[in-house]
Amino acid sequence: MILIKKTQRFLRFMSSMKIGLSLLAVIGLLAAIGSGISTDKYYQALPFKVILGLLLLNMALCTTNQVTKFFKHGLKAEKSSQILLRQIGMMTLHAGVVFILIGGSVYSFQGESTQIKIDQGQTVDMKTIFNQTKPFMIKLDDFNIDFNADGSPSQYFSHISLVENGAVTGEKDISVNNPFEYAGIKAYQSSFGYGVELQGESNTGWKEKKTLQESEFLQIPGTDKAIRIYKYIPNFDPEYGMQSKTLRPDNPRIVYSLYQKGSLLDVGAVSFGEKVEIQPGTTVQFNGVKPFSVLTVKRDPGLSLAMAGMLMLMAGTCLTLFLKQKKTGVVQ
Amino acid sequence: MTNYIEDFVYVTLVLYLLAAGCYFLGNKNKSIARTGLLIAIAGIATNLMALISRALLVSRLPITNGAEFILSFSGFTVIAYAFYELKSRNNNAGGVVLMIAAMLVGSIVTLMPEQLGDVKPLMPALKSPWLTSHVLTAIFSYGGFALAAGLAAIQLWRANSSKGEEWIYKIVAVSFVMLTVTIVLGAIWAEQAWGRYWSWDPKETWALVTWIIYAVYLHLYRQKSWKGQKSNMLVVGGFILVLFTYFGVNFLLSGLHSYGG
Repeated sequence: MILIKKTQRFLRFMSSMKIGLSLLAVIGLLAAIGSGISTDKYYQALPFKVILGLLLLNMALCTTNQVTKFFKHGLKAEKSSQILLRQIGMMTLHAGVVFILIGGSVYSFQGESTQIKIDQGQTVDMKTIFNQTKPFMIKLDDFNIDFNADGSPSQYFSHISLVENGAVTGEKDISVNNPFEYAGIKAYQSSFGYGVELQGESNTGWKEKKTLQESEFLQIPGTDKAIRIYKYIPNFDPEYGMQSKTLRPDNPRIVYSLYQKGSLLDVGAVSFGEKVEIQPGTTVQFNGVKPFSVLTVKRDPGLSLAMAGMLMLMAGTCLTLFLKQKKTGVVQ
Repeated sequence: MTNYIEDFVYVTLVLYLLAAGCYFLGNKNKSIARTGLLIAIAGIATNLMALISRALLVSRLPITNGAEFILSFSGFTVIAYAFYELKSRNNNAGGVVLMIAAMLVGSIVTLMPEQLGDVKPLMPALKSPWLTSHVLTAIFSYGGFALAAGLAAIQLWRANSSKGEEWIYKIVAVSFVMLTVTIVLGAIWAEQAWGRYWSWDPKETWALVTWIIYAVYLHLYRQKSWKGQKSNMLVVGGFILVLFTYFGVNFLLSGLHSYGG
């Protein structure tokens, strides 16, 4: 009995507006401090989560109180429809905050998000990324960039195929602001890059074609030398040095470095098809680049709840504060 | 017309300053204060001309870069003030509000003059149908909070009147709705663009801090112990946070919103 009474007293205490506003103030203060500390961990720390949890408890209790009061006293005939609507708005907005906080907690307990790098032509099995998903694969058919007249990027596109049981069952162009969604997984255009297609040959019979990533080495067979891709510059301009003038491949260069037994021998920049002589009789050339795309993939079972909460918060706030107010119409 | 954007901005700055001066001087002289209103309306006209010129220059709504946002912000603040003055027949806060608008326009010519002639196309993240609604509601809420802060400053400075309090409450309430819509639309947009509806990005964080202070104000407004000067202080404090969310975050803290500065 004592325990029940204590719990009741605690819940009554926790449901008050004073506590709710104090928690909001503390969250505001901590959030403000956190914005000066540029680390993601700050907002994931336990004390911060506990305070958000307490706010959730407070808001849930406060909403429950509002709903009970509304059904007990709210439907009396003498109330104007405006006051009624206002009360509905107030309940909706507080319930919205509860939904957002629950949706957010569902993500922090059950959700996952990571970045995947897919080369053009590569297929990624989503089962290897998220355990709980329906088995399906994503294949990157192509990645390309649309450019504005000035050479700045207008949009990034990953053209993907959805592969299920070995067969292509769908296609989609993922671009910024236009994610792909399937079986509870969402994939967003996040970043991109290029591998460099290298071709090497020597008069001793060595012939090789390989795609190297930036900063990757290739030991040249039959020599003590190695070549390393330093950087791909899509639009080389001496004024910009090692920075590309734009992302548009108007004047592509491959910057490479040559090593002998681990020590730097030479650095150079060549266009596609231009031969680099490693030693007499042995050459390397770069034939082009092969793009890869970086996608953010996410599984968030709380997303629809949080989104519903946001819409409720928005609609409820409009209803509560846009309607003409009478001083007696306030629930709390 | 697009060649005169800077001129329009400078003229707007001068007109807002003049209007503020007239309001301060017109404290006891009605005709000077009325001149202040007329000059303020002329300032609105040149402010709008600057915005229209920007729109013509970049062929889209002038609500993306920092200078465009501030011009819309200052323009809406003064428009809202003019409506308030005509409706309430009270011009006490004219000097303060026009001073705020002048400082906003002044910040363009001192901090970001190059943005007035900037014709860079939109970056991919900004290409979204959410852009217009997200930024327009932000402008309405910021402008409303500026007006409310001007009124609250006068309440703090001179005598507190309950009529003034009611006005402040109404303006804050509508602006708060706009801020809520701004944040929610921003979150929905962020979910589509970056895959997270809330990242504790500095802009998001400070918008939330601002939202909290006004939420606290709206809850406490009806409480006897908070009526009067304490709630006026919250409204002025809230607007300082609005300014920090814009200037402080854009210039001091880096984050996903960095294109806005």
